[in-house]
Amino acid sequence: MGFVLLAVPVIAVVLFFLLKKMQYQHAVSVTASIILVILGAFLTREVMLYGTVEYTALGGIFYIDALSIIVLDIVVIIGFLTSVYSIGYLEEELREGKLDQGRLRIYYILMYAFIFTMLLALTVKNIGIMWVAIEATTLSSAFLVGFYNGKDAIDAAWKYIIICSVGIGIALLGIIFLQFSSIGVVESSQFLDWTALFNNAADLKGPTLRLSFIFILVGFGTKVGLAPMHTWLPDAHSQAPSPISTLMSGVLLNGAMYGIIRIVAIINHSFGNSIFVGRIMVTVGVLSVATAAVFVFTQKDYKRMLAYSSIEHMGIIAIAIGFFTPLSIFGGLLHMINHSFTKSMLFLSTGNILQKYNTKEISKIRGMFKLLPVTATVFLLGLFAIGGAPPFSVFTSELLVISSIFQENNFLVGGLLILLIAIIFTGIVVTMFKMFYGNEIPRETSPGEGNIPGVVTIVGLLVIITAMGLYIPGELKGLIENAVKIIIGG
Amino acid sequence: MSNYLDALSVLLLISAFVLMGNKRTNAYIKSFKMQSILIAILTGVMGINSLLKDGHVDMLVVCAVVIGIKVIYIPYLLNKTCKNVAYRVEKDFYFNIPILILGCCFIVVFTYFSLSTTTGINSGNINMQVINSVSLILIGLFFMISRKKAIGLIIGFLVIENGIFVTALFATQGMPFIVDMGILMDILVAVIIMGMMAFRIDEKFVSTDGNKIKDLRG
Repeated sequence: MGFVLLAVPVIAVVLFFLLKKMQYQHAVSVTASIILVILGAFLTREVMLYGTVEYTALGGIFYIDALSIIVLDIVVIIGFLTSVYSIGYLEEELREGKLDQGRLRIYYILMYAFIFTMLLALTVKNIGIMWVAIEATTLSSAFLVGFYNGKDAIDAAWKYIIICSVGIGIALLGIIFLQFSSIGVVESSQFLDWTALFNNAADLKGPTLRLSFIFILVGFGTKVGLAPMHTWLPDAHSQAPSPISTLMSGVLLNGAMYGIIRIVAIINHSFGNSIFVGRIMVTVGVLSVATAAVFVFTQKDYKRMLAYSSIEHMGIIAIAIGFFTPLSIFGGLLHMINHSFTKSMLFLSTGNILQKYNTKEISKIRGMFKLLPVTATVFLLGLFAIGGAPPFSVFTSELLVISSIFQENNFLVGGLLILLIAIIFTGIVVTMFKMFYGNEIPRETSPGEGNIPGVVTIVGLLVIITAMGLYIPGELKGLIENAVKIIIGG
Repeated sequence: MSNYLDALSVLLLISAFVLMGNKRTNAYIKSFKMQSILIAILTGVMGINSLLKDGHVDMLVVCAVVIGIKVIYIPYLLNKTCKNVAYRVEKDFYFNIPILILGCCFIVVFTYFSLSTTTGINSGNINMQVINSVSLILIGLFFMISRKKAIGLIIGFLVIENGIFVTALFATQGMPFIVDMGILMDILVAVIIMGMMAFRIDEKFVSTDGNKIKDLRG
């Protein structure tokens, strides 16, 4: 079943090449994403029952455990919502003449290539192949960032591919040092095999391992968007088409963070404590949140604003992983899920706003409640949610992370984090609130929602994040607890 | 065997210095090609060695792919991109070339001191080879920040990848076969995409000067 999961996006790509008619392409996209969700559910059940899903075929390359299934489920669910949303979005773009049929096909091909590389990164045991897949996510999404072909879009795509390729290259150097530290410890047939490295972690060579972690953190951290390697992120997120921004923010960042978490697990297991990794991760995390806190006040573009908020939340996850207590990791993983859904909702809403107003500038948008009643409501509530207001899910996980920090008696980091989150909340509210009110409606626009499937998606997401804020299902809790056990070991 | 490897690692380092001294984009591509040929020889030597010792052909396959991708196809692709873009000579460096070369020397010394104090790498005979190849990576990075044009950035990226590949060979006798293949594929696709983008940047604003990307700050 697992290989079917990887085959579905590939088949979808082939079908996009073959089928010329637009309706068919939409149909293929939605069908493929529904199949992915079903397979994801099936694999989740397998993981719940047996702990891992492994096959002996192809040298035992396929491997899923509780940690990967969490990220994988995020990928397939957001992939599904994005494909539903894309129908309405692309139809509208076609109507306005921003795209033609050929470009639409390229859009779908690249989107499914991207989903394939994401799924590959999450379902392999070998860290080297995981690296190859994560690098491939950059390559498949680079043209999607520059999709509109404008000057800014191509600049952003260029910046994205150069910074991320070099960053990820540095991660490869780290992986080489990781392999180097394991020579003589694991057999050569098991080089870079995650389980083998984890089980033999105590025998790995310490100094090389430290070196390896620093390189890997810088490398994958570039992809996650941790400060100070975050510079590509606001550009890429603001220039990409909104559904692609959604995939990048909700899926791609998690995929790279997943890579870091895997490595952190090996290294902490090897050292028997989290002091070395913890210091670095917490510093980088606090720096990311602080960077976001500074930049949210100066943003003129609402998509860039959301991009900075992604940097903030990745920073929070990094801090949570850095503290490395069961509670903090639980909070971090839950935060990953919650952030993905909330941020996806916001980015999808920006697609509707962009299509209505044809501008990304906050100052040019007024009277959203009149023009886009549903999107505006969802967007407003989403801003509260992403800022960390109850009763939404981000609040729950932020609370968990912060209380885990205080449990460790680290009042400095905890206090700082609360302060910075409060500043960011203020920043988002101060800059974005003007968009919702006002009577000056621009000419040539009429009230009403354009993208009906899109509106359904974002309302669905709003329901999910509100429900998740009030109640975490027992199964999900069990799954995250299993993932925490995998990360901590034992 | 080890003599050959030592010699090749030094030659690779020299090729990076030569690259740093180049002014013309055509010369960049030639230097890169030379470097790739050295890497192909290196993988060939190691491949023959492992064939004789353990009967593995993996490394020889990697060698053939390296020749196909890095020695033949990528330089061809870059030459094609280079013909399409408007400029031929890098005029405005941030620093002049002697200073850049001195910077490279500093990088090698820095790598020597930082890696020779890391226990674990410092044992056995791989010491100098790893230092040379890590220096190659850092010089690649330095090359990227010293050149302003898109082609310079692509070449810098390729030198970094070359350096990483060589580090993997020297430090660990190569990554698992499938990983090596995946990495080479990724690099190939990356260069194709970067080449296309460099061309589009050129279309949009005449010069591929990365320095002019000013609208996207903050």
